[in-house]
Amino acid sequence: MANIAAQRIRREFKEVIKSEEVAKCAIKVELLNDSYTELKGEITGPPDTAYEGGTFVLEIKVPETYPFNPPKVRFITKIWHPNISSVTGAICLDILKDQWAAAMTLRTVLLSLQALLSAAEPDDPQDAVVAKQFKENIEMFQMTARHWTNVYAGGPHVNKECDDKIKRLVDMGVEEHQARVALSSYNWDIERATEQLFS
Amino acid sequence: MADYFQEMGWQPLSEGQAPNHLLHFARLFRDYNIFDESLTQSLAPPASKSVVENLPSITINGQGVKCPVCLKEHSEGETVKKMPCNHTFHAECILPWLAKTNSCPLCRFELATDDEDYEAFRKEKIRAKAREADIEILHNSMFS
Ligand SMILES: [Zn+2]
Ligand SMILES: [Zn+2]
Repeated sequence: MANIAAQRIRREFKEVIKSEEVAKCAIKVELLNDSYTELKGEITGPPDTAYEGGTFVLEIKVPETYPFNPPKVRFITKIWHPNISSVTGAICLDILKDQWAAAMTLRTVLLSLQALLSAAEPDDPQDAVVAKQFKENIEMFQMTARHWTNVYAGGPHVNKECDDKIKRLVDMGVEEHQARVALSSYNWDIERATEQLFS
Repeated sequence: MADYFQEMGWQPLSEGQAPNHLLHFARLFRDYNIFDESLTQSLAPPASKSVVENLPSITINGQGVKCPVCLKEHSEGETVKKMPCNHTFHAECILPWLAKTNSCPLCRFELATDDEDYEAFRKEKIRAKAREADIEILHNSMFS
């Protein structure tokens, strides 16, 4: 790896470790190899959002050309959010694309992602299904996002009805995550979800 | 007719010159008050070569200032590049960045570019902002 990238990450690493957000357990970064090219990030769901109480793990890949180009970041933890793919974890966020600036750091990236969880931008979606639900039925969206936070990110349990519907599909032989995706995509309408799964 | 062009800051097309479509779109959006920020979101072009060549070098006097790109602290007596926004960088840190895009990595202060379309577009953007402000002042004076 280019020297400047590795040196930069090394310095940043110290910065993040010492930052007050780490002290408050809001963000975390871990090295995954000695060459500073792969890291694991962690952010907690912001309070008063559907992600509250959850911990979200991120894959961070540092390119050779860092910090002249942004790190490649995606969610490892499955999440229901208009700007994050519920399938791949890919993120639609301007600073990870054309609004990146060389003075930004891993800390600013993690804080921006946390801000994205507080304020979705459904008009610039990464996941069209989630964005549509967000715009058309915000309560349904909130419930679904909370449910995903509970199941995948260790957030509080909220809705037994969701669990029951998933169980009914699982009993019919559907894989659990697939059942959750189908129900989430069809506003928890079990008939339409079943129709889609078996068509 | 010349006055009209002058007032708008436009230039009539000369013989055989093709219209600049990007600029026309910018005008269209401005005139319909739907100047869309998302249009400006693709990466801005590199800073102008001559502007970059003429960036002043200064000698660091004192301690505690970091280069925002590599995060290394400048040392006393070191020679660094200074942007018009007063942010200072190592030459090897700022030059590759300005070869990619025209703004300060820390505060996004924009340097001029050698890209005529982009410069025209940027002018329209500034004009649109000014017009918005004018309308607001007019609106406030009418309704307050
Ligand atoms: Zn530097
Ligand atoms: Zn600056």
